[in-house]
Amino acid sequence: MKPKILLENLLIFWCGLTAILLVGGENLQLPTWLQVVGRLHPLLLHFPIVLLLLGASLLWIRDENRMRYFTWLLLIGANLAGATVVAGLFLATEDYSGDAISWHKWTAISSQGVAVALYFLRDRAITILRSLSLSLSALLVLAGHFGAALTHGEDFLLAPLKSASEQPLSIAEAEVFRDLVQPIFESKCVACHQEGKIKGELRLDLLTGIQKGGKSGALFVAGKPELSLLIQRIHLPLEEEEHMPPKNKLQLTEEELEILSLWVSSGGGFDQKVMDLPQEDPLFQLVSARFSAKKSYTFSAADQDDIADLTTFFRKVRPIFPGSPALEVAYYGSSSFDAKSLAELNVVRDQVVKLNLNRMPLQEVDLSLLADFQNLESLSLNFTSVSGAQLKSLINLPKLEILAISGNTLNEEGIKALAEMPQLKRLYLWQTGLKEQQKKELEKVLPTTRLDFGYEGNGVIYPLNPPKIKFESTLFEGKTEVSLSHPIRSTEIRYTLDGSLPDSVSSAVYKDPIVLSASTPIRARAFAAGWIGSADTKELLIKKGITPSAFNLVTPPNPKYAAKGATSLFDGVKAKANHTTGDWLGFSESPLDITLTLGSVQPKLLEVSFLLHEGAYIFPPQSLEVWIGNKGVWKKVNSLPQANSTKIEEARFGLVSIPLPAGTMDQIRLKAQPIAKLPSWHPGAGAKGWIFVDEILVH
Amino acid sequence: MDKEFLEQGLNHNRRKFLSRLSLGVGSVALGSLLIPDLFSGKKEAEESLMRALPHFAPKAKRIIYLFQNGAPSQLETFDYKPQLIKSFGQELPESIRMGQRLTGMTAGQDSFPLVGSYFDFNQYGESRAWISSLFPHISSVVDDLCIIKSMHTEAINHDPALTFFQTGAQVGNRPSMGSWLSYGLGSENENLPAFCVLLSRGKGNGQGVYSKLWSSGFLDARHQGVQFSSSEDPVLYLSDAEGVDKNQRRRMLDQLAAMNELSYQEFNDPQITTKVQQYEMAFRMQTAVPEITDVSKEPDAVVKLYGPDCLVPGTYAANCLLARKLSENGVRFVQLYHQGWDTHDNLPNQMIGQAKDVDQASAALITDLKQRGLLDETLVIWGGEFGRTNYCQGKIAPENYGRDHHPRAFSIFMAGGGVKSGMVYGETDDFGYNIQENPVHVHDFQATVMHLMGIDHEKLIYKHLGRRYRLTYVHGKVVSDLIA
Repeated sequence: MKPKILLENLLIFWCGLTAILLVGGENLQLPTWLQVVGRLHPLLLHFPIVLLLLGASLLWIRDENRMRYFTWLLLIGANLAGATVVAGLFLATEDYSGDAISWHKWTAISSQGVAVALYFLRDRAITILRSLSLSLSALLVLAGHFGAALTHGEDFLLAPLKSASEQPLSIAEAEVFRDLVQPIFESKCVACHQEGKIKGELRLDLLTGIQKGGKSGALFVAGKPELSLLIQRIHLPLEEEEHMPPKNKLQLTEEELEILSLWVSSGGGFDQKVMDLPQEDPLFQLVSARFSAKKSYTFSAADQDDIADLTTFFRKVRPIFPGSPALEVAYYGSSSFDAKSLAELNVVRDQVVKLNLNRMPLQEVDLSLLADFQNLESLSLNFTSVSGAQLKSLINLPKLEILAISGNTLNEEGIKALAEMPQLKRLYLWQTGLKEQQKKELEKVLPTTRLDFGYEGNGVIYPLNPPKIKFESTLFEGKTEVSLSHPIRSTEIRYTLDGSLPDSVSSAVYKDPIVLSASTPIRARAFAAGWIGSADTKELLIKKGITPSAFNLVTPPNPKYAAKGATSLFDGVKAKANHTTGDWLGFSESPLDITLTLGSVQPKLLEVSFLLHEGAYIFPPQSLEVWIGNKGVWKKVNSLPQANSTKIEEARFGLVSIPLPAGTMDQIRLKAQPIAKLPSWHPGAGAKGWIFVDEILVH
Repeated sequence: MDKEFLEQGLNHNRRKFLSRLSLGVGSVALGSLLIPDLFSGKKEAEESLMRALPHFAPKAKRIIYLFQNGAPSQLETFDYKPQLIKSFGQELPESIRMGQRLTGMTAGQDSFPLVGSYFDFNQYGESRAWISSLFPHISSVVDDLCIIKSMHTEAINHDPALTFFQTGAQVGNRPSMGSWLSYGLGSENENLPAFCVLLSRGKGNGQGVYSKLWSSGFLDARHQGVQFSSSEDPVLYLSDAEGVDKNQRRRMLDQLAAMNELSYQEFNDPQITTKVQQYEMAFRMQTAVPEITDVSKEPDAVVKLYGPDCLVPGTYAANCLLARKLSENGVRFVQLYHQGWDTHDNLPNQMIGQAKDVDQASAALITDLKQRGLLDETLVIWGGEFGRTNYCQGKIAPENYGRDHHPRAFSIFMAGGGVKSGMVYGETDDFGYNIQENPVHVHDFQATVMHLMGIDHEKLIYKHLGRRYRLTYVHGKVVSDLIA
């Protein structure tokens, strides 16, 4: 037999077989090998589509040979169409039903029929052929489309167009089932578990189907993933027959597996919102990043000019995100704030969702205008001295979720106002002076609000930092003012002027600047309830003396520490507490021995300013002797043993005051002996000590 | 004849060429439809990108970066490795080292004996994260932290590593992260610089920080970091000279601006405009800064929270407190550096001192932001420029040892600002030497930080000398696992 004849006969064979299967398909009992043939359907179907469409298109080409090609293309194509339809009818005995499958079946069988007809009518007028071929093409496209919908799910073709135009969903609106679980079913499961192809009698395209389950039982046991068929099947090894989705289908990702398991263990609800999950919930942590944090707003945007007008250096108004109609407003610079600048916001009251007034002085400001800010979601009023009465204006803000009022003392009125804001999600109440009882009450009336009472430092006791002593200069003329300060407001500063350590009971309390008119050692400490009293700060303020008309250093200082000689002792410049500055006269081998010649003045007091720094071998003088002279007659007035250092301390100043007896004198001699042997407790015990002097003051 | 023939042939070829070209042009046209930026003027495209910043809704508005300069050891802080205690004194296996280059400081060592942490570790919080006993305060806020144990970098010495972290390149002259953000997002509060720098120094072995780390590189100079003084006056010369009042100052600035404008018209130097803007900002800072730096407005509880050191200017604690105040007032990026973590020897002692400096104040900053409702929009970052070796540098004893530089794995943490809280990310091997899972490169870290601020790190670009630059060079992947 010629191949052409054979193929023509085969055409009739396919038509007959199709007809039989259509009539008796309901009762068809397929041997397994024929099931395999049926499953070849998805492979076979591509050939007739291509060949028949190619053949049909030849009818529009002007070429003398076209009918030869047309005949062969149609013959082979129609045969393959027959084979495909038969295989399809075999496959349809598996779990398929519904509208899509019957549309697919009938459009495909019609294609087969039209193709056969076209072949046998190929000698007719070209117009008839053309119109037949157009309907064949249309049928093929339809059959193909319905078939694809069965395999890939409905909307497969146009889905990219739809999703591209969709905005990413805002996390505030996202729901666990609708936006996390259902999309997994839709993309990975529904192709085989939906109307039209209900494998295992399970439908995942309908809520009722998900609740009901399938042939093998319920889909899931709420709260028990390990007992849930859904979770078992998706976690089976890939080779297992029961594994879902089947081996050759697109598999679930790790994340999707996780989502389904977490959904079931959380109870498998259908209307849970993502935002209502606790933040530490693993499901929330897993999925929150998929949604946009940006909310979609339905209100219209504010006028651009209004926004520009409202924006100043002290008031920033801007969209929360480029293109968003919602605005956030922040105020900066408390000294530039006035009530008017808040009232001006009224123009954009519908758009403001976030308002930051932290630290603005609001105590007298009318906040009732905020009641009109119906879209306000977050309001910060930390440290604004806002009162309970003012908070009442905020009661009727339906969308207010975050309220920060840290640093404002709350009274009963304020607590009552807060109790009427159950919609709040977070409330910041640090430093609001609430008692434990009041905190508990608030927690009770606001069960869904997260309250943050912050850190109050109760029970934590630290030593205070020492206070600061402020003055103009260490050496002063006549009188000077000294002020004491501490950065912590609640401290009490106590001080002494006699060199003793201040205590918290008997020492003077500092209020106003202290006026000094003589050389004075000041020591001050800070005390406060809840703190350990501070260490002391000390300063030595020295009153300037008169300059003697002449002076004579009997023994020279050590050449390394000679400063500018004796003049340095009377220059009125206090040296820094470091012996290497070049302003100090240092003596070690020889004593400081100086004679001052006075003019007509009769001094009453002699003061010597020393440096003390045991670590650098600098000690107070071992002895200090003073003589007064009158016309060449010397009289010793004082001899003070010194050298009272007992340990190594930081470099500091020392002042020795020697009262002079009344009586006439024209000269004073001062002799200070450095310590001969450093004491035994010192690392350099036995070595010679030093004295360093920067000023001698005659009063 | 030959000539005509040739011409005919050429014409033919030309026609053929053109007709072929028509199809080619068609395909290119189609391509350009699919790739919109293909032929559009790049500059315009870039400009429109810039106008649209942030690129998407930001999770964090501000950053406080607590840089621990000198590289704190991960093995004594967040990366608990009991194996190292068991293997005390044993040689670092070559299978673990895998040819890692060493610094000149240990390259000459004959042996590389492993040494474990002198400090105990415990698990804290809901997240059960391991933290060493050096950080009692930080462990109390562990559920606010996102600890990354799998950071790695390319540089092995301080300066390049620090520069790499801050500018995305190991050599200087590139804009710092804060400058990029200032450039990209601008200032929240125009009365203060968008990028401020605060320095402090611990008693440990220190490494220098240089102003190139907060330089604006090729970006406009107004984006450079403003270094605050560590004295009692954080910004010097803010008060008006004696006898000059506000109005006189204003008139002087107006005159100056007018003259600068003339000069600008003549030379067109953009630095002149910058200068005028800087004068204006300094004028506004005269009122803004004293309001912020006044510590006396802080409640006692704040001092107890940060510790009394926060009242001593120039300490880390004082800088943390100041950072919170600046950030609260809209400063986009506050960069702290605390020096002294370079523990090549005497590590346990040095780390005790350093930890004492930073532990309480770092935790306090997080708590303080939280109780004001600011932590959600403020990203706090804590970490050094690289890690330290698991083997000992110099003499080894369980209670006294040193560690050299180690770029392959180290730990940092972040908090607030849209990162997951109570998270520990990444894991190193039992020796704490190599990363076992979820590595985070410095560029990934930078990309993630930019992402949190609402910026696509691949789109924040600046063209300079004919080349396009970005913070992450041509690398960086946003680590979305870290984002809440």
